[in-house]
Amino acid sequence: MSQYLPALALLILAALFAALSFVGSRLLAPRNPTVPKEAPYECGIIPGREPPQRFPVRFYLVAMIFIVFDIEIIFLYPYVLVYRELALAGLVAIAIFAALVFESFVYLISKGALDWGPPSTARQIDPSLVSAERTASTTIRKVGLEGRLPHNEVAA
Amino acid sequence: MIGQPYLIDVDWGDLVQAVITAVISFAVLLVSVMLMVWFERKVVSRLQNRIGPNQAGPFGLLQTLFDGTKLFFKEDLIPAEADRFVFKLAPYLALVPAFLMFTIIPVAGDFSNGHDGSVMVGGEKMFFQVIDPPVGILFFLAMSALGVYGIMLAGWSSGSKYPLIGSVRASAQVISYEAALGLALASVLLVTGTLSTNGIVQAQSGGFTSWALVTTGFVPFVIFVIAGTAELNRPPFDLVEAEQEIVGGFHTEYSSIRFALFFLAEFMNVVTMSAIFVTLFLGGPAPAWDFPWIDLPLPGALMGFIWFFGKLLIFLFMFVWFRATLPRLRYDQLMDLGWKVLIPLALGWLLVLAGIRVAQDNNIGLADTAFGDTLIILVIGLAGLAAGAGLLAAAIKNARNEASAVALPTSGIVGMED
Amino acid sequence: MSLFALIAQETPQFLPQNIAFGVIAVISVVAALKMVTTSNVVHAALYLVLVLASVAATYILLAAEFVAATQILVYIGAVMVLMLFGVMLTRAQIGAEDDLNHDQRWIGGLVAALLLAVMSYALIDHYGDDRLPETIVPQTTAEVSDEIFSTYIVPFEAISVLLLAALIGAIVVARRD
Repeated sequence: MSQYLPALALLILAALFAALSFVGSRLLAPRNPTVPKEAPYECGIIPGREPPQRFPVRFYLVAMIFIVFDIEIIFLYPYVLVYRELALAGLVAIAIFAALVFESFVYLISKGALDWGPPSTARQIDPSLVSAERTASTTIRKVGLEGRLPHNEVAA
Repeated sequence: MIGQPYLIDVDWGDLVQAVITAVISFAVLLVSVMLMVWFERKVVSRLQNRIGPNQAGPFGLLQTLFDGTKLFFKEDLIPAEADRFVFKLAPYLALVPAFLMFTIIPVAGDFSNGHDGSVMVGGEKMFFQVIDPPVGILFFLAMSALGVYGIMLAGWSSGSKYPLIGSVRASAQVISYEAALGLALASVLLVTGTLSTNGIVQAQSGGFTSWALVTTGFVPFVIFVIAGTAELNRPPFDLVEAEQEIVGGFHTEYSSIRFALFFLAEFMNVVTMSAIFVTLFLGGPAPAWDFPWIDLPLPGALMGFIWFFGKLLIFLFMFVWFRATLPRLRYDQLMDLGWKVLIPLALGWLLVLAGIRVAQDNNIGLADTAFGDTLIILVIGLAGLAAGAGLLAAAIKNARNEASAVALPTSGIVGMED
Repeated sequence: MSLFALIAQETPQFLPQNIAFGVIAVISVVAALKMVTTSNVVHAALYLVLVLASVAATYILLAAEFVAATQILVYIGAVMVLMLFGVMLTRAQIGAEDDLNHDQRWIGGLVAALLLAVMSYALIDHYGDDRLPETIVPQTTAEVSDEIFSTYIVPFEAISVLLLAALIGAIVVARRD
């Protein structure tokens, strides 16, 4: 138990270091905030569009799948420490375990749960949008509109 | 501590010793970060045909110190729309785990000829690592899991769009690659048979053929290095702070010393991750081979440090080289690489490796000899790998077909709407 | 101080443990209360992280280090990240929200009180006034492994089915049709 003491001491030291840095900065740095300085960063122009209220649900999906794999990994660690004693029985047990998780993971992928970004969205709308024939000169005029029009039509 | 009564048994000696250890490791870490920043700037300059810092101190060594000092004198701004408490808390959450992660690394010690890397100081056994918990490497994983909070909360609390986008990207990337990292790590634990970092180094102390790099068959090493680079948000996985798209990413709104602390944590993580590579795959301070023909008049512990440092430099250089050479990945490429390549490969490799090693013990009973067992398991394993890969490829193809067969984006998986 | 004196008198060798437990318990109870009273969703999530972290610290005190590492990796490193993702990606406003409290909180309080009563009864019924042994031998990870792959092999395999269900659930959540 007392073996964790140095880590605890280092934790306190690191936190103290950060806190003292803030104190130092407070003493040394100038402080004259103005409204433009405190506005959200926008390369010097006035922010035109509010940040999106909602993000793609896919990020959430990634976190969900990660939990599943995290739990799987946590069970793999005890296995790899004693796999020699368990011999064939252990190997079969862990293979079944891994295969079941892998199988549902493959189902997720086949449903497109981990397809990301404009290529996959564009593919849903019109596969030619992401074909290899397209070049910068054919796409550059449509930026910002492509892939969004059908949305609006559906909404309207 | 195994087998002893599990009591907090602390006297003043332990306390003083703990504080001294902490102060030394704190100083060493800060100096190593300073040197790492200098090293990166210098090497990247040479790779880009520039000179790099050369004014502050000899060879520009003090450049980082000067830059850091300068930041003390810069105005510290908190955006008007920020959540002030969380905004101030985030740098601590990035910095403290970065410091703690290094505590499990054995940095020196004599591991040659079956020594356990300890030295006797005043009749007490001492190791060249801050702590050696029995769950050692899990402590590292736990701390790196805590590191995500600094990034997430910094981005959210800024009340600004670029940091928010940057932090969402970063957190999704970090957790994705943490799974690959954990699976590749399992292969190392399989061959070393222990979670303690000291034990992992001892298991690899028989020259470079006993390194996990060789005994796990290279693939987990490659996966671990790629996943480790992505965990650090280093190029080519630096989408988190893709300047052309989202300014500075999660720390866009941070200025002055608060920014400096994020920067410090970032580079400290680079040093720690390199040290983890060395410990897990290259045997840490254990020598790669013996020098029977040279009898160096150096104590074994110092030789251990020299080996450790030499191996560390390889990876530090590798990170800088990556940065100077590789273009950034796109987000869909990043996610495809992590989920559809690294994770299935790491899982399959682990199972095949476990199978082969079980078969070598010849207690499976499928064939008469260990060789026969191994052959059978190898065939089954490779068939399993091929089947898994085929299944995965079919699934990816199916996802493509389904997506392009769908006429309207309203059905199927929710896409990229705002 | 008299409480400490009392503890020290009965089991002097456990004094540091008891002090450490007291500190951790206070932190976790205060954090739990703050979690349900704060009016900002992200702050509430952070207080929950603190509660989970103090549970991990308790495991370390009980010599179950592997369980403590698991607690941090799974709960703090994955489950809470998912929750924070959920609030960040949808509606996490900065600053307090007024409409977080509503009429159902009395029912919630009732359920919480019932749960507390049931759990207290179960704990007291099962353990009575049992005491920790004078010497606790730390549980090694290999011992945990032996338990999982012998006594608990069926629940272990059942977990993979549970994870399968979770992944299917994930795809259902993400589908819009």
